[in-house]
Amino acid sequence: MNGARRIAVTGLGAVTPLGSGREEVWANLLGGRLGFAPVESFDTKAFSVHLGAEVRGFSPAPYVRRLDPRWLGRASQLAIAAARQALADAGIGELGGGNELEPELAGVAMGTTSGEPLEVERFDDRYLAGELDAVGDEFMTLYPCHMIAVHVARELGFAGVNTMIPTACAAGNYALAHAVDVLRAGRAELMLAGGADAFSRITYTGFARLGAIAPERCQPFDRHRKGMIPGEGAAVLVLEPLDAARRRGARIYAEVAGYGLSCDAHHMTAAHPEGEGAVRAMARALADAAVEPHEVSYISAHGTGTPTNDRLEAIAVERVFGAGTRVPISSVKSMLGHTMGAASAIEAAVCALAVATDQIPPTMGLEEPEGDLDYVPNAARRHRVEVAMNNAYAFGGNNASTIFRKCEA
Amino acid sequence: MTGRRRVVVTGSGVVSPLGDTPAALHRALAAGTSGRKPIELFATAGIGCHEAGEVRPFDPQSYVGDRNLRPLDRTSRLLVVAAQLALADSGWGGREARAGAGPQAAPAARPAVPATPAAPATLAVPAVPANPAVPAVPAATATLAASATPAVPAASAVPAADIGLVLGTTFCSVRTIAEFDRRGLRLGPTHASPLDFANSVINAAAGQAAIWHGLRGVNSTLAAGEASGLQAIAQAVELVRTGRADAVLAGGAEELCFESFFGYHRAGRLCGSRRPDGAAAAGPNAGAVGRAGVGSGGGAALAALAAIDERPVPFDARRNGFSLAEGAALLMLEEAAAAAARGAAVRAEVLGWGAAFAAAGGEAALAGALARAVELALADAATAPREIGCLSASASGSLEVDRAEALGVAAALGERAAALPVTAIKAMLGEGLGVSGAWQAVDLIETIRDGELPGIAGLERLAPGLPLGGASVATRRLAPAERRRALITAVGADGHCAAMVLGAPPEAP
Repeated sequence: MNGARRIAVTGLGAVTPLGSGREEVWANLLGGRLGFAPVESFDTKAFSVHLGAEVRGFSPAPYVRRLDPRWLGRASQLAIAAARQALADAGIGELGGGNELEPELAGVAMGTTSGEPLEVERFDDRYLAGELDAVGDEFMTLYPCHMIAVHVARELGFAGVNTMIPTACAAGNYALAHAVDVLRAGRAELMLAGGADAFSRITYTGFARLGAIAPERCQPFDRHRKGMIPGEGAAVLVLEPLDAARRRGARIYAEVAGYGLSCDAHHMTAAHPEGEGAVRAMARALADAAVEPHEVSYISAHGTGTPTNDRLEAIAVERVFGAGTRVPISSVKSMLGHTMGAASAIEAAVCALAVATDQIPPTMGLEEPEGDLDYVPNAARRHRVEVAMNNAYAFGGNNASTIFRKCEA
Repeated sequence: MTGRRRVVVTGSGVVSPLGDTPAALHRALAAGTSGRKPIELFATAGIGCHEAGEVRPFDPQSYVGDRNLRPLDRTSRLLVVAAQLALADSGWGGREARAGAGPQAAPAARPAVPATPAAPATLAVPAVPANPAVPAVPAATATLAASATPAVPAASAVPAADIGLVLGTTFCSVRTIAEFDRRGLRLGPTHASPLDFANSVINAAAGQAAIWHGLRGVNSTLAAGEASGLQAIAQAVELVRTGRADAVLAGGAEELCFESFFGYHRAGRLCGSRRPDGAAAAGPNAGAVGRAGVGSGGGAALAALAAIDERPVPFDARRNGFSLAEGAALLMLEEAAAAAARGAAVRAEVLGWGAAFAAAGGEAALAGALARAVELALADAATAPREIGCLSASASGSLEVDRAEALGVAAALGERAAALPVTAIKAMLGEGLGVSGAWQAVDLIETIRDGELPGIAGLERLAPGLPLGGASVATRRLAPAERRRALITAVGADGHCAAMVLGAPPEAP
């Protein structure tokens, strides 16, 4: 976008099945560790699959300081934790207290698939038990998905634009795109953008019914891949205008150079057979960022590990980057599982870190690659990353690609 | 803001308890008709509240033809119909027409409003025939918004399939989600419905509407409480301004269902949920205060007031909650030059918008956030307070939110607020959550067209200290100057505030 404000990523926070905080998560991803284990959130004996990617041992206590964690859903707690981490990572303290940033110019954009699914599950349990009399005001206080962004903003005192973008498994990228628009338009000077989801029996049941859950391993882009593994988590990126970030001497991971959105308008749960919408999202993102395909040095794939997604994504990537392209492409879902609304936010943070550190996390579990793309199999790689692209696709045919570019000091 | 791409409204589609065309809705609102009726969608025995703004009868096939509706839940059906109506009203025609001969020219002006009462909701626009060469709509329906204008190929910069959709919603379908879950619990996970699971995502309705109508442009869903619909329109405005889209449908959709109705009742938010003695009709935890939000206290204030039964009365001293409603509404937003190039009629221009959030609880914080949203909208629209001719307020009868809204508007508009003509259409329609802001926009465009600003049904006694003297029970005819620039506000109980300035089309009085 000519003349548009340039937007910098200056802080990263994440709570994931592979640990908490930028450093721990990044080290585990580069180390190829796996975040899968038998599900503990609920009994899976009625299912034929049992693996999940849950966040274990999470305590909201260090992060939820103003609000009462008893009155927050799990996704809100995870989101607040990631947001607090991201602000600390960016070197931004409490707004107002000596900080020159005005709360009114600080906004929140969060993505999600299910919002606070545990709250509707609790409602359903009471419904089936004939105990609806036990329902109080907590259902409507905790459940609506917008409460994730509301809780982050209340906890941190952010009084600018507040938006929840529930575009399912691409929601993190959508939230990031929205935050970029808000900043470019000068409607905020600081945005927290990310995604959050809580591990949910509803989600697990649904993907199990679709036959999409892998029984043992998540192997994106492998010929023998058997599916995805549902997960949970949250990630938040601190975004601010590049010039302001430079003025305050902030560490800049990357610039958000552009984004592209599209809709397949084809099928609710299946991607377009030629990856048509994915191609348009990537092409629009490249145009928005004024980047040529050959300038892209890394693609963070949507890469769920389902047979269909990975095949169509590979087709779409080849249509944009050319058959035989050697651009490295990897899927951290091979390690984190599919953290739903948090996934593309985590992967956006991965892109920012790849750009900042010139390292690419691997696609694990890859034994027999399908096709000829460079999937960065089974080991992280040192590689100069000037430009990274983050792909995300969702139910409803919602496609989103974002682009991160190295910022010269 | 010279050089900025201008965004115009070239049509709209609406499904509501009070009509399925903008004109019919507007007539009902101006007549003070209530959309409340006994709920038939689910049993209300034992709940304590029994009425809501149900869309009834609702026969989607009477609008969209006999294509298979089974994959669509109620929210998606409401939205698919609203999209059909908005595409037709703005001259884009049906899916086949857009894929074929290019966009139709829109009617030069909205067809004259028939003198007879509104047609029943089931007698609306039939499906557009497959052959784009055939005039789209039989002459018998010529009085409806989708007029019988024959297809006129017109130059347009917009590939028709690249129309976008930005939807505001609170729940999409909490009923679909809950029923999917309960079926899995009752019968085992292998009996859960994959079809329901596809609709359990909160972007399902927007995705279904995109599939139904072939909308391949930007497609997004946005949740910001009761401000969702207006923030969705605002986001679409940004997409057009920044050149990411030339034509975007934007608005909201929400269904009425047991889960949300019961939930709001137990939270003490509905106008029949709280007894006049201030106690919540619901369980011991309902209406509890102490959360970080606006809270749902106010029992003491309520205790002093006379009961007004189950009616929502915005801004009134006796208000005691909102009435839930369902429906869908979409505006067709287009870049002004592209709209002109295809010969589209312009109903209004979006001059500017603003949004803010109340990060702290309480009335003052909410009022302050709305004041900021209004000030940002005025600045974005390069409009002074004295140029605002009328206001469509968000007020719903909510005990906590209505006064904050009035105080916020007054803080932003200064002395203009005291005599500003104000409507609050939720008095008649009820609280449509995600769709509310879009309903307000659709109706305010009708006000810009015909000069009638609906009164606030039931309003007898303004709440003490409420600074909007122009809020009145009577429908009023606006002076020409009061129809040039109009303000919409949307306020959510959880802190979301949005405001938008609409302008009359250039050729209007």
